[in-house]
Amino acid sequence: MTKAKLRPNAGDLLLMVGTAKGAFLFSSDRSREKFAMTGPHFPGQSVWSAAFIGNGAARILIGNKSEHWGAMVSRSDDFGATWNDAIEGNVKFPSGSGVALNAIWALEAATSLGDDAVLAGVDPAALFRSEDRGETFRLNEALFNHPDRQRWNPGFGGLCLHSILVHPENPKRMYAAISSGGIYRTEDGGDSWATCVNGLRVHPDVPGATLCPHKLRFDAENPARMYLQNHPGVYRTDNEGRSWVTIENGLPSDFGFPMVAHPRRGETIYTFPLTADADRVPPGGIPRVWRSRDAGGSWQPLGKGLPERDGYFTVLRDAFSADSLDPAGLYFGTRGGQLYGSNDEGESWRAIAEFLPPILCVKTATVS
Amino acid sequence: MRVHIPSALRKWTGGRDVIALEPGADERLTAAEVIAAVAQEFPGIRDRVLDEQGALRRHVNIFIDGENARFLGELDAQVGRDSDIWIHPSLSGGGQAAQTAK
Repeated sequence: MTKAKLRPNAGDLLLMVGTAKGAFLFSSDRSREKFAMTGPHFPGQSVWSAAFIGNGAARILIGNKSEHWGAMVSRSDDFGATWNDAIEGNVKFPSGSGVALNAIWALEAATSLGDDAVLAGVDPAALFRSEDRGETFRLNEALFNHPDRQRWNPGFGGLCLHSILVHPENPKRMYAAISSGGIYRTEDGGDSWATCVNGLRVHPDVPGATLCPHKLRFDAENPARMYLQNHPGVYRTDNEGRSWVTIENGLPSDFGFPMVAHPRRGETIYTFPLTADADRVPPGGIPRVWRSRDAGGSWQPLGKGLPERDGYFTVLRDAFSADSLDPAGLYFGTRGGQLYGSNDEGESWRAIAEFLPPILCVKTATVS
Repeated sequence: MRVHIPSALRKWTGGRDVIALEPGADERLTAAEVIAAVAQEFPGIRDRVLDEQGALRRHVNIFIDGENARFLGELDAQVGRDSDIWIHPSLSGGGQAAQTAK
């Protein structure tokens, strides 16, 4: 175990990496040339989600799961030197609902909803909200009781709510994406939810089958525009999810898990294609990040520093993120335990860590 | 009766490995009531042994005097006044936990 305490300075990068066997924290100065690491935190537990609260005293939130003792959100106010586990479970479905928490798939600091607001997406699919910086959470009843719920159908990864987007200018407008369930939009801060999947195709492509969005992201400059890696297909909406158009032309495959948007430059996005639903490895064993600079109109492979052959790893939906520095940094983790990073917007890559457990999530933050 | 706490949960019992309970002479407790009694004093125990609907977690076992409570009615299993109750994480492994696609 690496016990050295992380001591990031203001402006440094923090990487929060969740794996099948614990969390690992990395920090670097803005050059992002050298990284310090601590971990594993929560050894033996799977870590599906993480978030950083930068306003006020810095706080790291981790969504961990013990196969024996259940899942919860733990927090650290000293960059992982110590952790505060909730005495009682802090993400719980109401007693009598008949539903029990399986895992916490998404954690998002949502300061536009309030200084201390945090949102959590979980399996089985539901949205929770905290008003106390991640210490306690309350179920969003409207989405939980949505009539579509009876049609949601667990996929291979479970029935997870994995993507939570809060409109940057109108926080009453939010989006939640559920695999295998669909995409839902609220215009009233979560009191009601409407499906917004017009134009998306389902897998298998038969009537009644369930939509399966894999990862949803805002465009950096135009929040009416979003990008989606769907189970079948890559999509863009220009009208707040009211309709979707396919943008997969030029990619080697329409299948994959992550979708990442550049932190500042609109129309620039990144994805990591896999061969097919039934063959979840990079096409030809040549792993590549694919970038579009025109909102999906065309795509370019980025592979300098990545394996040129025999690269048969998978990148999961929450295991690819961008930082907010300039030039933007990009980071992805693999199910083989490699953590790759780029400090030049994807032009070149190098391994930050090579022998971690299977990586489930990668989140970034700039320390304030 | 004595409730034996696994090492992983002793953080929530102040380090104690055995919690003694003394039910009344005519009091009959179920396994669920034993867990509730321990959790009343040590609240960190409940949500780690039971889920929020009150079900025994899938990979947690309760043994009553050497018998797995799952074969005695699970949480409804009767516990004797002088019984030893063990809360024990399952000896499971090799599964697909956390390996599934995200």
